[in-house]
Amino acid sequence: MLNDYSNHQRLHLTTKKQKNKQMKAKKIITYVLSGLLCTGLFSCQKLDNYAPPSETLQGRVIDKATKAPIQTEMGDRGIRLRLLELSWSDNPTPYFFTCMQDGTFNNTKIFKGNYNVVPQGPFVPLILRDGNGDIITDESQTVDIEGVTDLTFEVEPFLNVEWVGEPVLNDNGSITVQVRVTRGTANPDFQQDVTEIALFINSSSYYVGDNNYDNRYTVRITGTEANGSVGEVVTLTTQDSFSMNRDYYVRVGARIDYNVEGAQRFNYNEPKKVAIL
Amino acid sequence: MRPSRYNTIILSLALLFTVPACTKLDVPPMNVVQDDDIFGSPNGIASYMARLYGQLPIQDFRYTPRRGFNEFWIIDPFPTITGEALSANQSSAETEAVYYWGNAYALIRDINYFIKTLPTYMEASRFSQEDVDHWLGEAYFMRAVTYFELAKRYGGVPIVDEVLNFPEQPIEQLQVPRSSEEATYNHIAADFDQAWELLPESNQTGRANKYAAAGFKSRAMLFGGSIAKYNEITLFDNENSRLCGIPAERAADFFKQAYDAAKLLEGHYSLYKNGWQADDKEAQYQNYVDLFFDEESPENIFVKQYGYPESVHGYDVYNIPYQFQVAGYSSSVNPTLDFVELFDGLPKTSDGRIEVYDAAGKYELYDNQMDFFADAEPRLRATIIFPGDQLKNETVEIWRGIYTGDVAGGIDRLQPVGARTTYENSSAASRLVTSAVPQQEPHELPDGTLMNPAGRSGRFFNFAAPALTGFSVRKWLNPDMPPALVVENRSDQTWIELRYAEVLLNRAEAAYELAEAGEGGADYLGDAYECIRQIQERAGADILPSPAALTSIDIIRKERRKELSFENKIWWDLKRWRIMDDEQNGRTYRALMPFYAENAEKWFFDDRFEERNAIFTFDTRWYYQQIDPGEITKSPNLVQNPGY
Repeated sequence: MLNDYSNHQRLHLTTKKQKNKQMKAKKIITYVLSGLLCTGLFSCQKLDNYAPPSETLQGRVIDKATKAPIQTEMGDRGIRLRLLELSWSDNPTPYFFTCMQDGTFNNTKIFKGNYNVVPQGPFVPLILRDGNGDIITDESQTVDIEGVTDLTFEVEPFLNVEWVGEPVLNDNGSITVQVRVTRGTANPDFQQDVTEIALFINSSSYYVGDNNYDNRYTVRITGTEANGSVGEVVTLTTQDSFSMNRDYYVRVGARIDYNVEGAQRFNYNEPKKVAIL
Repeated sequence: MRPSRYNTIILSLALLFTVPACTKLDVPPMNVVQDDDIFGSPNGIASYMARLYGQLPIQDFRYTPRRGFNEFWIIDPFPTITGEALSANQSSAETEAVYYWGNAYALIRDINYFIKTLPTYMEASRFSQEDVDHWLGEAYFMRAVTYFELAKRYGGVPIVDEVLNFPEQPIEQLQVPRSSEEATYNHIAADFDQAWELLPESNQTGRANKYAAAGFKSRAMLFGGSIAKYNEITLFDNENSRLCGIPAERAADFFKQAYDAAKLLEGHYSLYKNGWQADDKEAQYQNYVDLFFDEESPENIFVKQYGYPESVHGYDVYNIPYQFQVAGYSSSVNPTLDFVELFDGLPKTSDGRIEVYDAAGKYELYDNQMDFFADAEPRLRATIIFPGDQLKNETVEIWRGIYTGDVAGGIDRLQPVGARTTYENSSAASRLVTSAVPQQEPHELPDGTLMNPAGRSGRFFNFAAPALTGFSVRKWLNPDMPPALVVENRSDQTWIELRYAEVLLNRAEAAYELAEAGEGGADYLGDAYECIRQIQERAGADILPSPAALTSIDIIRKERRKELSFENKIWWDLKRWRIMDDEQNGRTYRALMPFYAENAEKWFFDDRFEERNAIFTFDTRWYYQQIDPGEITKSPNLVQNPGY
């Protein structure tokens, strides 16, 4: 009985406490609501005074000779497009976006306006200046971007990298490939030495290149050896031995001793998948 | 009560409060230091100067490319991205991650304000012409140093020589465009020249005298000349002003200015040789260690002082070998074998690589670890800690493991040449006892004595930091600091920003470039040789036999990389020579791993790629660093560098 009584007492106490709590909660809700009303009412005007950018700029960068798209890597060491919006200023701050790996580009969030567009990548620059900074050639395109605007840029790549045969999977967990690197342009100003030919390998992604590779297996040839290989069939084998429990993606890149926008950019062949599983 | 009494009281109260307040309302705020306070007395000037010097961009014990100037936590300093050393915190090529821009222009503004305001106070404050000249000279010196730090990062930068006022001036006037890189270097030269004219022969330690101005000028002009000669990146703005790159025909002129400026110091400074003795490697080593700690050194031209507890750094704590660690940090700078191979007096193959094998292709065995380094150039020994060398009267224990295999007929290579796998994952693992971590089980040797599988300062295979490469840095480490005090924010040794050895190297390099360009007027080649000879002699290195042996700029560059290593200079040298991308193109640096062969009771060394296989590839865009995009959005006249 005693037990029962005390339990009852406790029960009673709890309900009182709960009531207090409920009252407090009500008060808090009132405050929060009035707070919300205050801020909500004043912010009810308009979300933004501009429409979001909705025009599309798409297209491709292709080889002048073969009309094939220029293979590149993703990111700003591949091909990037420089846009100058001339609608409101002669000297605008440039806007950049980058090409996809296969040399195409597609940007669906561009403001409507008049733009100068030029791609920058591993090919003879479309805007060339002499030693005094005077422009000698300018193959950039100035267009009104509205709706879907499609542009094609024809360029001369520094180098062509072609597969010779298919990649061969070796028993010890390595891959051997053969490629031929040739000059892609006859322009005498862009016949600098080939500084590097590299076999990039990646164990997880089709997006393979200097931006995304497994450094345990990737091999490079550099210096005179690289420069001497122009026009020859080059055989490259990945170093060390890798796990045979997954597929690999391989691709060969080559570059010359010329900086485009500060970087020596690679020309590539198409990535290939080496199926193991 | 009658209301009139109230009126009287209120009126008199009003009078009481308002009449004394009638003197002046427009008084300067009491909580802001006024021009009169600063420019009214030499003490005020000293305080202003202290602030300027404190902000001067000096890459010292408190600088790292990841964090910038005047930082404390320096565990990834410059030498760990140049290939001089490796740090466990650093595993790829990097460039400076902070933008030195806003702080630079804030400092330049303070300097410009000083230059503008000081002369107007000259009479009122009764300053002598001499004092005013000296102070102005310091201001020009600091402005040149600051612009040089900007130019070597960004190329041509906006030149602001007067105090800009906002909001008094319209915003268009404040959006100063970048000058050409050439004009920027011309401006730097002009400021240094002005400083040279105005500055005194000597000044308080830590402040510039005229020789500091000349020495810095030689550094800056050598940089400008190198850009003119070696740079391949160009950037023009709409007015055809060349923001990146200097016309090649200016190279000789800049080298000449560097040479002339360096020559001005001759006879006023000298290499530190207080304890140096000919043909005594021990004395030469000790002399080279002392050179960084002797406050009276005749070699110090411009220094930055520290003092515990007001102004401190943590160089010792971050770089002490692991066995001395008391504060949770150690071994941030581990010199690479590639760096060590630059030095003389080591066993080497004909192509200059370290030789650890005997004629039969087996490991060469040594009684003591230090026997391997017995003939090493004293400068190298003073620059890095060899396995088994002494520090603070203790032997620094560095070894990778104990070799328990058979030694009859010699020890075969543990791994094939060029192997990248760790010893633990190789076929040699069964013949080795190694340790993953510093808490290790001693191994019993055949004679019954106990020995740790790895040295107390490394290297441990699951704990990369200590002796990552088999070496630890010695330069700048305070040899007299009690180990218990090696904690953070406790070190206060002086940073020597400019010493005479660098001036000699600047002079030699400029002279060689002039000789190569066919400039007449002096025996440039002979002079370059003499500078290099002095450096080599003091260092205890092999001395070039004659000027005729000076056949390549690479000899001078190599000397520079040895002499100025770990002084935060090499990064800029590799950049201005435009060879950083060749140095770091898929590069993995090498290590030298000592092993104890228990059955032979001797040591051997294994030369290999460092076991983390960190790959360094320098991005050529970094030759011109990115300008803070935030600054670009502030001014449409500010053109970004190529590639960003």
